Amino acid sequence: MQELEHVHPPGRWTRGRLLGAAVAGGAVAAGGAALAGRGGAGTSVAAPSRDTDAQILNLFLLLEYVQQDFYRNAAEAGSLGGELARFASTVGTQEREHVAFLSKRLGSRARARPRTDFDERMTAPDGFREAAVELEEAAIAAYVGQAANLTRGLIGNVAVLLSVEARQAAWIRSIAGVSPAPRAADPARKPDDVIADLRRKGFIA
Amino acid sequence: MTPLTIRDVDRDEALGEALSELYGTTRAGFLRTAALGSAAMLATLLRPADAAAQVSDVAILNFGLRFERLQATFYTQAEEMGTIGRMKDAKQEWARTLGAHERAHVKIIERVLGPKAGPRPFFDFGEANETPAAFTRTAVAMEDLTVALLTGITPQVHDRGLISAFAGLLTVEARHAAWARHLVGAVPAPRAFDEARSIDSVRGAVDRTNFIVGKPKTGARRAPRYAG
Amino acid sequence: MTAAFAPRANAPGGEPAAQLGLPPPGVPAFTPGLPRRLGSTRHLSHWAPVKRSTPARSAPDRDAPAVATLATTTPEGTRNIVAVLARRTDRFGRPWVRVRLAELPNGTTGWVERAALGGYGTVDTRLDIDLSRLQATLYRAGQPVLHVPVGVGAPGTETPRGEFYVRNKLTRYRSPPYGPVAFGTSARSPTATDWPAGGFVGIHGTDRPDLVPGRVSHGCIRMRNEDILAVARQLPIGTPVTVH
Repeated sequence: MQELEHVHPPGRWTRGRLLGAAVAGGAVAAGGAALAGRGGAGTSVAAPSRDTDAQILNLFLLLEYVQQDFYRNAAEAGSLGGELARFASTVGTQEREHVAFLSKRLGSRARARPRTDFDERMTAPDGFREAAVELEEAAIAAYVGQAANLTRGLIGNVAVLLSVEARQAAWIRSIAGVSPAPRAADPARKPDDVIADLRRKGFIA
Repeated sequence: MTPLTIRDVDRDEALGEALSELYGTTRAGFLRTAALGSAAMLATLLRPADAAAQVSDVAILNFGLRFERLQATFYTQAEEMGTIGRMKDAKQEWARTLGAHERAHVKIIERVLGPKAGPRPFFDFGEANETPAAFTRTAVAMEDLTVALLTGITPQVHDRGLISAFAGLLTVEARHAAWARHLVGAVPAPRAFDEARSIDSVRGAVDRTNFIVGKPKTGARRAPRYAG
Repeated sequence: MTAAFAPRANAPGGEPAAQLGLPPPGVPAFTPGLPRRLGSTRHLSHWAPVKRSTPARSAPDRDAPAVATLATTTPEGTRNIVAVLARRTDRFGRPWVRVRLAELPNGTTGWVERAALGGYGTVDTRLDIDLSRLQATLYRAGQPVLHVPVGVGAPGTETPRGEFYVRNKLTRYRSPPYGPVAFGTSARSPTATDWPAGGFVGIHGTDRPDLVPGRVSHGCIRMRNEDILAVARQLPIGTPVTVH
């Protein structure tokens, strides 16, 4: 019997490809303790508390306020038509409900509504589209980062809000002609980075 | 717009066998088998208080894996058999992208679970991925169901690293669902809060599809009587 | 993007510079790898189990004449399977599948309703039997991975030429002329029509390795036992078999 070397598609086992494959195959958290029962990746992180809940929910509330204002502002300017207008109207209403939920949950600890002063370019179709994508993606990245830091009871409430933010993002991306789902998993972003970004881009005063 | 649902059909007894894997092992069983294979990926047993949590996280991951395998096979098979090639460009792009995502999800969850991953089920999608229209209808319903599942199980997970991982997955499945709805002319985000569903509820929905079936018996232990 | 939305000059007040007290983002326990599109599907073959006995017709139409009847089981007691060649929808929107049948004459195909078949199986393997060179080659994803010598049908009981598929796998038996493992194919010996089990061409081991390679059998493809064992590790059910 002549057993041939199992011949893979060309190039598959070259060194460069091997390294690529290691990344391409996905990553499990360093230290291997994917189910360590600790704070993820074996690092020790402060346990969730009512205080951190409040801070996290206030971050979310900030983002929802900004979105709500952004959509209301665009709707009032009246420059949108067709599906964009329907999108702004539908999503604006949803962000208002998100604001209501988060405010109620926070009670007296709820932050004040932030000041917003959107550039008029954000109300015209092209500018609106771009800005909406930016906003929705920023919110998703912030939410994804903080979900696990919440106390258990809140995670479920936030999950069904976050999924809607993701739907909204996919919707506006569809309208904008970019892939609604560009990645197999959505990454987290640090709250400071998200807010600094939004401020720099004129979403938050 | 009429709601799109997975068709309900009678239960298949073979499902009972296939689903028995979903309940995970007993704690003692877990301790026995944890030393095998890629134990580095699973918790050490230094903190027995966590073992029960780990067992249930494993069970949750396994149900998630089962569901992702179902989706991945649904899309992959449709593409391999040519159903997707018959669709319009925009829908092809959607279907191919989702298939690639689900395959990536299956792969990573299989890696995480290692030897604790349940056996690969056998699937019979019947006509559901046979024609572009049936494929699209089924995919829309399946993606919404995935969102319902992930929003339901994420808060039940114990390990916070897993919660973070699930959060980044549920957003992707929600994108899938919205994308699918947009393609068929349905509202991508129909309400301000999605409906979460429990594992039991989703298991029931999957049962009723009859998509997961027993392995066809193509082997036998008997002497051949071929031509010779 | 950022160029269109320059920071507002002289904006008073505003948000605190840092969200003090917020924990850092949770580290996910896992991150999926890069999503990969399917490569070429040209090395893939598909098969399906027969869920219910059904006529195979000459065309995807209930009014077309039946070419054969598909049974749900094989003579070996395994689930009958068919190789899937094409798919079409009839004028009522019913999906049909063109399948390769384990019927004489060899090479018979027919159309069956999708509903009569179970879930598809997919393989990327192919077995090539060269009757002149007395050699079998196993391909995987289009690449040859094994060459083994074979014993084939003797003159008068030649192994039929054509396209077939692996239908079942028999193990744990004691029958030295068949070696340790035997695969049933859809090919049938045209001369063994009165064979009790249908005269199907098998691929199996042997207790006469000295006769391999050679033209020695009643149609079956014989391999030396160590070779059939090597092949068996990479020969999933449904693998297409080309005999030429």
